[in-house]
Amino acid sequence: METLQYILRKLLTGIPLLLGVTFISFLLMVYFGPDKTYELLGKSATPEQIEEVRHQLGYDRPFIARYGQYLKELATMDFGHSDSTGEPVSGLLSRTIPISLALITPGFVLGNLIAVLLALVAAYHRSSWVDRFIMGFSVVGMSISFLIAIIGFQILLSSSYGLNMFPVRGWNMSTVGNYLSYVTVPTLATVFVSLGYNTRFYRAVIVEEMTRDHVRTARAFGIPPARIFYKNILKNSMIPIITRVIFSIPLVVISGSLLIESYFGIPGVGKVTFDAITTGDQPVLKAVVGLTAVLFVLAQLLTDILYRAVDPRVTLK
Amino acid sequence: MNPDQAPLLRVRDLVVEFSTEVGVARAIDGISFDIYPNETVGLVGESGCGKTVTGLSILGLIPSPPGKIVRGSIELMGKDLTAIPEKELRDIRGGDISMIFQEPMTALNPVFTIGNQMVDVLTQHRNLTRKQAHSVAIEMLDKVGIPAPGQRILEYPHQLSGGMRQRVMIAMALSCGPKLLVADEPTTALDVTTQAQVLEQIRLLQDEFQMAVILVTHDLGVVAETCDRGIVMYCGSIVESAGIEDLFNHPCHPYTEGLLQSIPRLREKPVDRLPIIPGRVPDLFHLPSGCRFADRCSKVTDRCRQEAPVLQQLTGSTAVSCFNPVA
Ligand SMILES: Nc1ncnc2c1ncn2[C@@H]1O[C@H](COP(=O)(O)OP(=O)(O)O)[C@@H](O)[C@H]1O
Ligand SMILES: [Mg+2]
Repeated sequence: METLQYILRKLLTGIPLLLGVTFISFLLMVYFGPDKTYELLGKSATPEQIEEVRHQLGYDRPFIARYGQYLKELATMDFGHSDSTGEPVSGLLSRTIPISLALITPGFVLGNLIAVLLALVAAYHRSSWVDRFIMGFSVVGMSISFLIAIIGFQILLSSSYGLNMFPVRGWNMSTVGNYLSYVTVPTLATVFVSLGYNTRFYRAVIVEEMTRDHVRTARAFGIPPARIFYKNILKNSMIPIITRVIFSIPLVVISGSLLIESYFGIPGVGKVTFDAITTGDQPVLKAVVGLTAVLFVLAQLLTDILYRAVDPRVTLK
Repeated sequence: MNPDQAPLLRVRDLVVEFSTEVGVARAIDGISFDIYPNETVGLVGESGCGKTVTGLSILGLIPSPPGKIVRGSIELMGKDLTAIPEKELRDIRGGDISMIFQEPMTALNPVFTIGNQMVDVLTQHRNLTRKQAHSVAIEMLDKVGIPAPGQRILEYPHQLSGGMRQRVMIAMALSCGPKLLVADEPTTALDVTTQAQVLEQIRLLQDEFQMAVILVTHDLGVVAETCDRGIVMYCGSIVESAGIEDLFNHPCHPYTEGLLQSIPRLREKPVDRLPIIPGRVPDLFHLPSGCRFADRCSKVTDRCRQEAPVLQQLTGSTAVSCFNPVA
């Protein structure tokens, strides 16, 4: 009951945040985004024609009214039709978002999971050769750019120079086998580039928790290492780990899918966004920007709730 | 001290070193002492002289790396703790020997209730179910003077004051009936009133539980009030060890004498200024070849600078490591 109230209260505090984020993004879209008038009319339009089209597009209405309209669209999830294809935006998104999730999730999960495991091994053997090896490997991973990693894995796995086991481009989720064959190379590239950063971060967190006073207390009372590891080290590392994982979700979804999908020609929401930016497809852009803002706010909310679950010092206030 | 009894703990020629970036620091340099059953021994000395490291060595808890017991033996009832496997040592930690630490605010795990942590310790060393251990834990909390222990046991460390947390630590330390309690400055972080209460609590429980206590402190006043015997450390060595009467009435090492003079309440007449010991503690990388206290000593001779004195038994209960002990 208390928790439910807490969640409701957090949801309420999310509202101003949501308004702020959407307001700023809408402002940017209106003043720096594409203007459809000239695209529709060409170069030699008369002032009357321009006036007419701007009225049709709603550009002549006051900013606040247009922002209100945007909020309404966001609340009802009805963003109208895509300028370039005429497809309803909601249909477009519900078709492409699952593809992006299926594409990104394995790499994201593995990239964090493997990093936590490597970090644990490194922290446990800290300043030995095992630690140095893992951390050296991390630095190498960090210094290789995403694009190079993608190209590297493609040559190794998808070309006749390498194993030639996986398709170079495209997407197919009709069977598990197809899905695996298309998702493998993007996943490997994602894991490869995120592993270095993640491992370094998690190692720092775990080493810090290992040197806490309460770890020494537990050892001084004869608690076995496995229990100390779980109750003193892992449990206390959860806050920074949760924060990092959840706050990287929106970024991974947007930037990760944008790059991978356009490179591999995968018809996900990243590709849709990329196309909308290049063609100035306002209804789609408004939807993507608005949903991203919602995603950020939800991520924030989720971390707050999880904090409470793992740390008794976080009160319900 | 009762010399007829066999010592509970016998430390011989213990040397502990830390390897750091600037070199090897010898934090403990060949100390030897005995602790007898049921006695309270004060381990005193300035900050950094090696009191905590001594306590940690007894439990085999020197952080390694960088620390290492280089030499010496620590025998608990005849068993050398430096030579037994980690698994066996774990049964002794929190079982036969318990240690409580200076910082009660950070010594407990913040994400588990104090009950959960106490039950972990109890089930580790005693053959109890978690439910039985829970009742024992409540009893222990009651013994250390925590009001409403049945409720308190369900609370998290952050819900308790510093004094309460230190009491929880004491309850935990005594819950498995240790023969030796190492209390590392248990009251330094607490306010004066709480300090007195916590010390009194330790003393009461010592009688009830029949255990020896090593009370680590830099406060000679606390030693005078609570201990049967005092061991004075300086810069990683023991400079003097004596029964409490002898230590305070006839200090033999010039360093002990200096320490005593710096306690205001032991003097009859107030003086203008506290006599502090001149000079600074040498750092562990640039130790003098002779006596480590030589540079600060009022009675220094040439011999003190060339040769390091060893701890020697004088008359009565006193042992001192000095060529020119105070008469
Ligand atoms: N983890 C460590 N790494 C390096 N040196 C240490 C470490 N712990 C203790 N020492 C050294 O051991 C000496 C004694 O420390 P300690 O026993 O904590 O002193 P105190 O008497 O104040 O308890 C210090 O001078 C310190 O330099
Ligand atoms: Mg200390």
